[in-house]
Amino acid sequence: MKSILGLFLVLAILVIIPAADYVFAAGDEPEGYLDRRVIIWNLFYRMMTVAFTVGAVVAGTIIWLCWRFRESNPKATPTPYEKEGVW
Amino acid sequence: MGHHSNWPEWVYIGVVVALMVWVGAEAWNAERLVEHIPADAEVIKVTGQQWFWSFEHEDGTKEIGELHVKVGKAYKFEITSKDVNHSFNIHDYVVLLDAIPGRVNTVWFAPMEVGEHDIQCREYCGLIHYNMRGKLIVEEAEPSS
Amino acid sequence: MVLELQKPRPIWQIMFSTHHTDIGLLYLITSLTFLFLGGALALAIRAELFLPGSQIIADSMTFNRMFTVHGTTLIFLFLLPFASAVGNYLVPIMVRYKDMAYPKLNAIAFWMIPPAATLIWLGFADFTWYANPPYSIISAPGPAADMWIFGLKILGISSVLGAINFIVTILKCKHPDMSIGQVPLLAWSFLTSSLIVLVAIPTFAAALLMLLTDRLGVSGFFNPAMGGDPIAYAHLFWFTFHPEVYVLVIPAIGMMYEIIPRFSRKPIFSHSSGIFAFVLLSMVSFSSWAHHMYATGMSFTEKTVFMIGTLAAVPASAMHVFNFIATMWNGRIKFATPMMWAVGGIALFFSAGAGGVVNAAMPLDFQTHDSYWVVGHFHLFVMGTIAFGSIGFLYYIFPYVTGRMYNEKMGQIHFILSFIGTVLVFFTQHVLGLYGMPRRVYDYPPIPEWITMNQIASVGAMIIGVSMVIFLINMIYSSGKGKIADTDDPFSLGGKYYFPYEAKNPHH
Repeated sequence: MKSILGLFLVLAILVIIPAADYVFAAGDEPEGYLDRRVIIWNLFYRMMTVAFTVGAVVAGTIIWLCWRFRESNPKATPTPYEKEGVW
Repeated sequence: MGHHSNWPEWVYIGVVVALMVWVGAEAWNAERLVEHIPADAEVIKVTGQQWFWSFEHEDGTKEIGELHVKVGKAYKFEITSKDVNHSFNIHDYVVLLDAIPGRVNTVWFAPMEVGEHDIQCREYCGLIHYNMRGKLIVEEAEPSS
Repeated sequence: MVLELQKPRPIWQIMFSTHHTDIGLLYLITSLTFLFLGGALALAIRAELFLPGSQIIADSMTFNRMFTVHGTTLIFLFLLPFASAVGNYLVPIMVRYKDMAYPKLNAIAFWMIPPAATLIWLGFADFTWYANPPYSIISAPGPAADMWIFGLKILGISSVLGAINFIVTILKCKHPDMSIGQVPLLAWSFLTSSLIVLVAIPTFAAALLMLLTDRLGVSGFFNPAMGGDPIAYAHLFWFTFHPEVYVLVIPAIGMMYEIIPRFSRKPIFSHSSGIFAFVLLSMVSFSSWAHHMYATGMSFTEKTVFMIGTLAAVPASAMHVFNFIATMWNGRIKFATPMMWAVGGIALFFSAGAGGVVNAAMPLDFQTHDSYWVVGHFHLFVMGTIAFGSIGFLYYIFPYVTGRMYNEKMGQIHFILSFIGTVLVFFTQHVLGLYGMPRRVYDYPPIPEWITMNQIASVGAMIIGVSMVIFLINMIYSSGKGKIADTDDPFSLGGKYYFPYEAKNPHH
């Protein structure tokens, strides 16, 4: 639950910051030409933030799963399907 | 087949779809901004051929391998090729567009600092593709009278 | 068991057989041979790129030929035949039928591969696995180019014949008591990827023919000097090859659908959502081809359409990842070699997809197009997901095919080294691309960051190379002298499953 909230918070920030950026950036450049480098790299960094956040969640989940449900874990219990021996 | 509650999967798909919509919207917006060519952009004809770049300015000046431009001005590259596919790339300015024979592709940029940057080819074009390089030289603008 | 090396069957019996297990074995040996040949080329490429200047390859034309044949070999002569190997061996068993629907056609489809491979390797063309005109028409030296074209034509026909066999076997020959929804997910993966092949390959077949006639000078489809359009080839090529990458990945995911539930000691979380995701993925795969062409000068609207088509495929892939994670949850997982490969493959599948989403965002393609980012991205798919899933599955069926167990320690070392190597090479290449290094370059300027990253990538490649040698030794030694396996439960998981009970091979 916390991870989803955290995710939405990051997403919300990622939408507000660029919006604020464009408002303030308009006055910065001489003659008002947009700098394509800024636009493109800015988009790239925001997407990387999202990708790594989601990646951390996915990879973290997989690592935790492998750790918690490995058969050598002292807490490991047989699955309900092992009783019948068919899965 | 197990009959378990479905809602985690639906929430997950919802999040994935929302993320994709966000990616698409942001990309669409950025592309719209980047593709808007200023009306006063000066045209530079770029021609790629095996294995060098040549340039022609609006005033007829021709350059081979090197391109001189002025700081603070907007330029519009009209890119084509004389033989096979090449791709005109000034990586430092994120300028990249294919040079296709029989076709003119257009991309613009406005350099903001004085300096030298590499021009390279980004589409396989044969033997010397790896060394089809050039130099972009951004110079001070002449003081206006 | 088709491969009992202690009491070998006559080789001609296997070669002339039309039984699905024998043909599966033939595909398997062929694909693994080309894995090593294509991999050797990769090692040579990475050795050359270790430093600027010429290292072990004397000139750029040789280098260009090597990366062309490397790509062509690993896609068409390793990945596709390996999937065919698994499919041929297992699909009839999975649908409880005696063989494939058309056994003789099956054999013909396999035997088209060696001549095609010979053409490709004797020719050693240089125009990249993409063969795009006008270079491939006016500049690529023949006869290498023509041999490549004929080789691929033959491979395309072989693929289509195989696809027909899979589709008819699964849809028409499945056991009467088995509904289509009960067909195992691995078989569904072959059904959906075969359907993609049927629709997508003919386009490339046409493009190859047109390329050939253009090269002969009798037509001008793609040659601007004769009034043609090079971009037309790009559309035809990518219309086939974008769906084709799904033809490559879908069977690998299907293989993971066998391994992960088995080793988690639970059934798959949702069989029906797996089927839905495969069907959806195969349909949506047709809507994104021109994202490979963002830099060709397409209009804003065109690019937007294909971006939407690309992003639309992500939820379907995400459904598979969810299914795997939900299956492992509450399981009791044995991390034998096959399971390690499958789970490692899922993790890398995600990173490959994430990088792809970045690429799909139109303006970001200006940073990454035709740079090493793309190389890192697609290799995370073909090596990190598909090869990992395939190799894991190979370890899994090894005891069933040979009756012996492979060496578990060597298998785990193989996985660990390959995983580290894969991350080192392909994650680094993403960053290298952001620094601007183009792909398909024999040499590069001595920019310090480029040199460092190339060296890291080359070290990673050598690590993968070492792991593959360990793999080869394990496979060869264990096939002949490995411990006899209990074919009811070779991995001591403690269950009974519907397959692979012994295939009824008429020669036994």
